[in-house]
Amino acid sequence: MSHKMDTNKLEKHYWIWPIAWYLFLGGLGGGILFAAGILDMVFHAGYILALGVLFAVACLGIGSMLLIFELGQPKVFLRVFLSATAIIKWGACLLILAMGFGFIYFLFWLPPEWNLFWYPWLWIRDLCAVLMALFGLCVVVYTGVLLSTMKAKPFWNTPVLPVLFTVSALSTATAALALLAGMWPSYEYILAMIGSDAMAQAMAGEVLHANKEVMMEILHIADKILVIAEIVVLLLYVLTTRASGNLTAKAVALEWISGKKALLFWVGMMLCGLTIPFLLYQLGGVGAEYVAPVLVLAAGLLLRFMIVYSDRRRSMPGEEQYYRRLPKGDERFLQGWKAPY
Amino acid sequence: MSETVDIHAPDVEVKKSCCYFCHQNCGVLAYVKDGKVIKIEGDPTHPTNQGGLCCRGNIALLHLDHPARINHPLKRTGAKGENKWEKIPWDVAIAEIAEKLNQIKAESGAEAVATAGGTLRTDDWSRRRFMNMFGSPNGFHNALLCWIPTFMMETAVGGWSPFETDLATSRCVILWGFNPGSSAMPGMRGYSDLRKAGLKIIVVDPRYSETAAHADLWLPLRPGSDTALALAMIWVIIYEGHHDKEFVENWCTGFEELEDHIFEYNPEWAAEQTWLDPELIRQAARMYAQNTPGNIQWGCTADQLGKTAGAGMHARAILRALTGNLDRPGGDLMPGPSMYYVTDEELEGNDWLPEEQKAKQIGSDKFKLTSWPGYQRIADVSREVWGKAPTAEWMCEAHGPSVFKAILTGDPYQIRAMIISATNPVNSYGDAKMVLEALKQLEFLVVCEYWMTPAALYADYVMPIAGALERPIVHNNYGVTDSLITSQRAIQPLYERHTDYNFWRDLALATGQDPDQWPWETLEEAFYYVIYSFNSSGYQFSSYDEFVEKYRMFYPPLHYYKYGNNGFATPSRKVELKSSILEELGYPSLPTWIGPAENEVDDPEVAAEYPLVLTTGGGFMPYHHSEQFNIESVRFLKSDPYFTINPKKAAELGIKEGDWCWIETRRGRIRQRANVEPSVDTRVIYCQRGWWYPERQEDTGAEPFGCLESNVNVLTSVDDEHCDPIGGSWANRGLLCKVYKVSYWDETDTSYSIPGSASEPGVSVPPSEQKLAYEPIPYDPKPTFEVPEGLTWDKDTKLAWDIERGLAYDPNSGWLYHPETLIYYDLVTKYAYDPETETLIDEATGQRYSMETREPIGEGEAVKTTAAEAVAAEELAAKEAAAAEAAAEAVIITPTDIERGEQS
Amino acid sequence: MTRYAMVMDQRRCIGCQSCTVACRTWNELPMDIIYNPVVSEGVLGEFPEVHQTFTPLICMHCDNPPCTICCPCKASQQDEDGIVWVDETKCMGCKVCVNSCPYGARDVNHDEGFVRKCTFCKDRVREGEQPYCVATCHQKARIFGDLDDPESDVSKLVNRLVTERFFEELGTDPQVYYIPDLGGVK
Repeated sequence: MSHKMDTNKLEKHYWIWPIAWYLFLGGLGGGILFAAGILDMVFHAGYILALGVLFAVACLGIGSMLLIFELGQPKVFLRVFLSATAIIKWGACLLILAMGFGFIYFLFWLPPEWNLFWYPWLWIRDLCAVLMALFGLCVVVYTGVLLSTMKAKPFWNTPVLPVLFTVSALSTATAALALLAGMWPSYEYILAMIGSDAMAQAMAGEVLHANKEVMMEILHIADKILVIAEIVVLLLYVLTTRASGNLTAKAVALEWISGKKALLFWVGMMLCGLTIPFLLYQLGGVGAEYVAPVLVLAAGLLLRFMIVYSDRRRSMPGEEQYYRRLPKGDERFLQGWKAPY
Repeated sequence: MSETVDIHAPDVEVKKSCCYFCHQNCGVLAYVKDGKVIKIEGDPTHPTNQGGLCCRGNIALLHLDHPARINHPLKRTGAKGENKWEKIPWDVAIAEIAEKLNQIKAESGAEAVATAGGTLRTDDWSRRRFMNMFGSPNGFHNALLCWIPTFMMETAVGGWSPFETDLATSRCVILWGFNPGSSAMPGMRGYSDLRKAGLKIIVVDPRYSETAAHADLWLPLRPGSDTALALAMIWVIIYEGHHDKEFVENWCTGFEELEDHIFEYNPEWAAEQTWLDPELIRQAARMYAQNTPGNIQWGCTADQLGKTAGAGMHARAILRALTGNLDRPGGDLMPGPSMYYVTDEELEGNDWLPEEQKAKQIGSDKFKLTSWPGYQRIADVSREVWGKAPTAEWMCEAHGPSVFKAILTGDPYQIRAMIISATNPVNSYGDAKMVLEALKQLEFLVVCEYWMTPAALYADYVMPIAGALERPIVHNNYGVTDSLITSQRAIQPLYERHTDYNFWRDLALATGQDPDQWPWETLEEAFYYVIYSFNSSGYQFSSYDEFVEKYRMFYPPLHYYKYGNNGFATPSRKVELKSSILEELGYPSLPTWIGPAENEVDDPEVAAEYPLVLTTGGGFMPYHHSEQFNIESVRFLKSDPYFTINPKKAAELGIKEGDWCWIETRRGRIRQRANVEPSVDTRVIYCQRGWWYPERQEDTGAEPFGCLESNVNVLTSVDDEHCDPIGGSWANRGLLCKVYKVSYWDETDTSYSIPGSASEPGVSVPPSEQKLAYEPIPYDPKPTFEVPEGLTWDKDTKLAWDIERGLAYDPNSGWLYHPETLIYYDLVTKYAYDPETETLIDEATGQRYSMETREPIGEGEAVKTTAAEAVAAEELAAKEAAAAEAAAEAVIITPTDIERGEQS
Repeated sequence: MTRYAMVMDQRRCIGCQSCTVACRTWNELPMDIIYNPVVSEGVLGEFPEVHQTFTPLICMHCDNPPCTICCPCKASQQDEDGIVWVDETKCMGCKVCVNSCPYGARDVNHDEGFVRKCTFCKDRVREGEQPYCVATCHQKARIFGDLDDPESDVSKLVNRLVTERFFEELGTDPQVYYIPDLGGVK
């Protein structure tokens, strides 16, 4: 036997780290597309957020790669489109659409000196902003719905989970946007549009800086709100599950609250991932600009990992005793036999 | 899945094979393609399993070609136990072994060669045939733990062991220390069915077993106290008057003595011994006695009680008789030996073994019922009544532990060589440390095996043996029943594997035994000889395989109340509640209580240090004894050893579920994991037996394959005083122990021995100085008739003798007779009676005398006799003729017998 | 119509796990895939007033299987006779069905990468034989047959006796019925 066997089928993790990353990246990418699209529509701030959109498309791309990599049979991943009903198939379509529109949207923010022929068709850009926001949100919600439809997994099988994932995804997206806001290629692009007038350029620079400051402020405030919302939803999620009727869900929630995941949950998630960023946002400065968004992103990833690894199946009476007694997989008698001479 | 192999393809042959992983021998259909078995499944038409197969049955294919199987004869090249081998051809190995055995025989006598077996899987009759011709009486199995003492006891008391239970019409069955729920799957199905139909099931088991879960009444007694329970049940039945008075009056002897003897064993007395509520004992006795016909199913508990075993088996035999359940519809049937086919006993050739060799059988001076002294007595009676004797292999063997002791001590003489087949004695015989030491010290060891076992590791030669699917099998329950079920081999043995029969035959020929006595080259030929006689009536087949394919089984007509013809096969032809055979052998003739090997009452000091009561004998799925630990699919289900402890006791000792713990007795300690469960009393520890770790293939040090680590036989004792003096079995149950958690620094202690007396393996007191649990009772029978003056009473033959002339006295006729010529002599004149002329002859002078007057008469003179005398003489002659005829008839199968069988 | 179903008679099951091993050998499953675990909560109660029940598990071949609608490849499917199975030639190993099954009836074959599950031995059943776990059960604790046939053993048992099913509240409509140890007639 080459691999160590997972013999405890109650606790066996069929979805592991690539899925956690995928859920995180999907949420993050979708969230960025959604946020960037909305902000562009409302504030016309696309030029500040363009790099974020590219990042989002990359996130979704990497996420999809991880998803394929995680398949038992990666070579035949195209089979995913065979079914009409499966939620995974919907997810795959949404991913592609979101990625596609995001990418097209980004094409309008390429360096102006390239003078690409589609630059003038701004209506396409604006349409893409709307569509990428829409499909981005769908991807965000989908990552939560995917897990919450699993009747077998009581800890997932709750409508609070998509809410939590949505809040968390938007929170990480906002944080990422805040980190990436105003970086390439926005300045050059704007300045090129304005022309060679030094005065106008200087003024535009100021406006741009001001706009960026405003946008950062908006993003930070939004993230503060989202972080607070996430704290509330997360606590609601864990505590109500703890109080729920399902024994398995209860046991997992207990694991979060006082069991082996408690340290990660209280210190990792609640303190470092949510409370401290909130305070840093509140304090402003470098902490708000760089540390808080990074912490929020880390917390988002941690949350996906913790959720994905809380996939305990509901058990039938006696299953726990049964699997506890089975060999763990690394026993000597499972490592092959050699001839006696 | 079977998509890859199509068992319905035209080139796939179906073979009627059978499972070979326990003695049930469930039917298996083997699908064979191009000489390879591609699939197996349970045979739906087989009477035993009806298509079912248990964990073990299903792994036949995994067993057949397991990478760790021994496929070629191995010769040791390194030091003993060094695990260095050389592959040699089968014939070479056989020749070398034979040479060595002959050398030992020439130097030390044939008795210096012993053989050890395990379960019923070694073509036992051929092994016995070899040993008899070779001249050694020292073959043995683990027979003493496995029903054989019970068989012999019940045969001594009632003439045959009621082996078959007529459950279909039974109303109550006692499963006494028998857990078909984990050891006899097909049987368990039957119990479930019958219980639904109203059969009452009483289970006697200290543990809440799979079977106890399906019982109407469960008696969770103190392990080892079964004898007390049986005695108290007799008490209830007799003193509450539930016994079958008519049967007892007509067909039992010794009831009055039993009534007096049993008086002290009331349920209140038994309650102390068994920890059971006296009312529960009464309830059980009433349920059993009032719901007749009923049965006591065979099981091995009574054999594993150690020194209290004999009385327990005797008491159970009495229970069957008191309730009149013997050989009646719905009761305990006594099939007797088969009259229809050649029995195992007839194949064994016990007559070849000279009397002086029989006398050398190790252990036969102490444990007489299951060795030559007791067997001979029982076989003689059995031949008189049934016409055939019980199988000698199993029923009449050397005392295994004494043989191992003889290896170490040379007492009573040195055992120099041993052939071990189908057993891993370190795991299956008592006092594992002593056995392991004996194997290490043995001069010459041959092991016939599937696997490298601790025993095989110390062998000089390891011989590869054919397993399931590779051998034909005749299932006839040790030859103690009259039916048989046959199975064929699916394929010829792979590699250089051979059947046990071929091993013994080849060895026999190589040691110079007469080839005419081994006329069958293959097992099929031998089995054809066994069943050939069916051919003369109704059955038509020209080979064994044909019989298997066409008929598969043979069930003779069922006869109830067979004792109505010739009586029971005991000396008195009645059920001897007070057994004369036991009395003759020097044992209590009525079941007499003696406490278990170690108990709180007799050994309070031991109990103070070892407060818990241990039972080690229970079989558990999916293993059969110490087998299948190396089949991954099976091992996966139970990968670690677990002992059971009551949650209250566990909490008291700080033991949690799954903890590794030491279980320690005065003899050593082992470790198993804790199964904390309220299935046993707070004072009881139940250990799993058989554990070793074959996967530790590199672990070939002093305790190879971890063979002592979790092995319950490290805890058992085979000291003579702990053995049953009657049957010789040692105790697996009712031992005193203590339990404590394995601590951190214990991990480095690999000796699994406790400091002090038990740290050194071996024998501290020479066997000849070891005392028995109780002294033999000198047998001194008084004459039952008035001994005429001048004759001498002899207690062994129970006859009065005219020693001078070697004549015995017949108290019925008042004449003397010569035991061999059967000529009658006048008591006073010592003249011989001549039935032809009805005169008396003085043999010294040839002078004839008149019967009436004792006057001398001349030649040809008519003799007058009284009418009464003439009739008496005629009757005598007729009786003699009938006896001779019966003896001759016994071995002849008449066609009408078989026709009767067909019709019914 | 045919609707295959199984009845587990817990009055008869003794927890020998023969079905576990039998299924593994017949279907040549790798060591870590078990279609037929036999579980038990152990001996419950206080000595000597104790009780133990064994529960043989298997794919429930639900009437409303959550594992087929979630399959993106149409590999996980249900036949008309109710048998739920996975077409290995269509499966890509996304494991969404494994996670969606509340009964733990599915597993992934590590070496091959696709999902495997009990098929009620459909190749045997369609030859008119019993699934192998049913055939091998010494205790006749497993009863298999057509629920739509009123004369079949399963129909008779289900109609006459009190039976239980696992997780009915999830709406899966499982088609494996348990006759509880201490049940009775309806």
